[in-house]
Amino acid sequence: MADIKEKANNAFRFDGNWQDFARIAFPNLLLTIVTLGIYRFWATTRERQYLWSHTSFVDERLEWTGEGRELFFGFLIVAVLIGLPFLILQFIASGMIFRGMQDYVLAMGIILFLATWYLSGVARFRAMRYRLSRTRWRGIRGGSDNPGFAYGWSYFWRWIAGILPVGLLIPWTMTSLWNERWREMSFGPYQIESDAEPAPIYKRFLLFYVPLLLLIPIGIGFQNSDLEGGMGAVLAISLIVMVFFIYFGMPLLSVAYYAKFFREAVSTMRWGDVEFSFRARTSDWIVLYLIDFLLISVTFGIAYIFIPYRHWKFYVEHLHAEGEIDLDAMTQSQTATARHGEGLLDAFDVGAI
Amino acid sequence: MEESFRTSAQWYDGQSAVRHEGEALWDGAQHFALRSVSSNLDIGLRELVHAEERGGQKVYRWTGDEDFRLILPADLPPGLAAALPARRSYGGWIDRLGLGKATIIFASVSAGLLALFFTAPDWLGPRIPTSWERSMGDALVGDFGNRICHTPEGDAALAKLLAKVDPAEEKVRAGIANSTDINAVALPGGQVLIFDGLVQEAETPEELAGVLGHEVGHVRERHVMTALLRQFGLTVLLSGMNTGVGDTLFGLAAMDYSRDAEREADEYSRERMAESRISPLGAADFFERLSKRFDYDEDSLLGWAASHPGPGERAEAYREAARGKTFAPVLTEQEFGALKTMCEEDEDVEFMEPLL
Repeated sequence: MADIKEKANNAFRFDGNWQDFARIAFPNLLLTIVTLGIYRFWATTRERQYLWSHTSFVDERLEWTGEGRELFFGFLIVAVLIGLPFLILQFIASGMIFRGMQDYVLAMGIILFLATWYLSGVARFRAMRYRLSRTRWRGIRGGSDNPGFAYGWSYFWRWIAGILPVGLLIPWTMTSLWNERWREMSFGPYQIESDAEPAPIYKRFLLFYVPLLLLIPIGIGFQNSDLEGGMGAVLAISLIVMVFFIYFGMPLLSVAYYAKFFREAVSTMRWGDVEFSFRARTSDWIVLYLIDFLLISVTFGIAYIFIPYRHWKFYVEHLHAEGEIDLDAMTQSQTATARHGEGLLDAFDVGAI
Repeated sequence: MEESFRTSAQWYDGQSAVRHEGEALWDGAQHFALRSVSSNLDIGLRELVHAEERGGQKVYRWTGDEDFRLILPADLPPGLAAALPARRSYGGWIDRLGLGKATIIFASVSAGLLALFFTAPDWLGPRIPTSWERSMGDALVGDFGNRICHTPEGDAALAKLLAKVDPAEEKVRAGIANSTDINAVALPGGQVLIFDGLVQEAETPEELAGVLGHEVGHVRERHVMTALLRQFGLTVLLSGMNTGVGDTLFGLAAMDYSRDAEREADEYSRERMAESRISPLGAADFFERLSKRFDYDEDSLLGWAASHPGPGERAEAYREAARGKTFAPVLTEQEFGALKTMCEEDEDVEFMEPLL
């Protein structure tokens, strides 16, 4: 049989609607409440099933094959392997405080903090691996054979190295981790390629430092002004600048930076002969978050259950792919599948994507 | 073959992404044949599992190969529709029971569990054998080693004071801790500590008797065990909710008694003082004096004075207990002096760091 070559232009489509999603989200909320939260694993699964099945790539819908019980077992495993030791350590720590060993408790606290840091890296990796292995398109799934423990170390030291020089290496941390994680993933027979570079996003990133530089002249003004007259005005102006920066500038800069980072990172990704791009601009992200915020405030928080829907739709609608897919060559993934779900990610409260 | 047993179908064999399009033919019993130009498959009807419904299609999995997917149109011939496995929506139990019934059952079980969980410390605490509590306390807080002050005269005076507010055969373990904190605590394991800072604040032995009686009351009324269980339960509950770590690291040190427990401990203290003919007026003065001098934070930790009933109301209760009674001095001047100088005179006692 001849190769089927498909032109995959603007390949992703989402055809869900919020009314249908509400029919899933409200019973989910109800069941989650009456089961004291235990149903949330099945709730997540049902939501993903809806979102995936209303997302098409080229000419076929995605399928979410994860199960609620996988997520539940993942949670139980983490509770026993990590939660229980932490609980016991807490009691040991308080026992040590009573015995006057505060220094050791402090050291233990630092070690636990670092361990949590490492594990959250592992968790991010494993969550992505789990999600890919439970995503099917035309019967084919993704995954990774890497268990993610090495990525945990990368995550650990690259973030430290990124933050230590007053944060100046953070773009490098983010792009190199993005590459490292995606390169371990595959879908069907093809490994995912990713070559995000920090250079293109540096201009945006350095904007964070501009308001701080503006504070220097204000500080000098402070030093020189005699404590009469001028002082009050300088203080008032610098306070206004600070407040404005903290409440408006920082969030806006973060969004602008992240929008650029995400566009850059996705645009360097390849899967077989398919290339990706992400076309959301800063203003798109701001609108997304602003409407999130308004919806949640107006409904006293109930609209929170629509956030996964809104964000998924946002990602799908701005994600583009171009290239050719040889369907005969698109064979089944041979990667190992993790038996349990995202327990670790859940434990460290790290959000999606 | 009857028309009602035939339908268009698509399937993926799980080996490649090639879609097979053709027909599904049902023999009216258990046998299902998939026929297309590119693929022929025979499947038992019972081996199909409903996966999902999406945009006018039904998707089925096959127990014979987890990678296989069969896609049928949603408007199937009625005979075939009835023979295919039922759709799953909420998950096994809930689908079987129905959403309404399942909600009611889950809600009642959850309410029961919550009630059990929140009342457990109150009824379970007093039922845990004292010996267990003691071992648990030893493990959790230890015996404070060399940070408790000792002199022969001071020990004797403390023992005398303790005997009056704790008439039981086996006494609680009480000590004066070498710390400048103005505080006293009842700890897991039936241990009572009065900090030297508080001893120095006291002007009469009756004042100390009031404080010591109160802390002994916490031990005897099993408040310590109850608070310990409550703290433990909260830690587990909080960690279950978000599995977040670190927030509750110092859980035990933040352990606190309820206001009711504080009242009970005060009552215990007044009853013992009445039996031993100790004047409660000293305690009344002491509470008022301390509350004037220190602005105690209602939410503070480990506070002897923290979560206690309002100082005015409290002092009044002690004064009420004194009405129309005569009292004997609880300690001699000398004995009280020995308590006051105990930490100063104990040469090898170590300083106790603040607990928090």
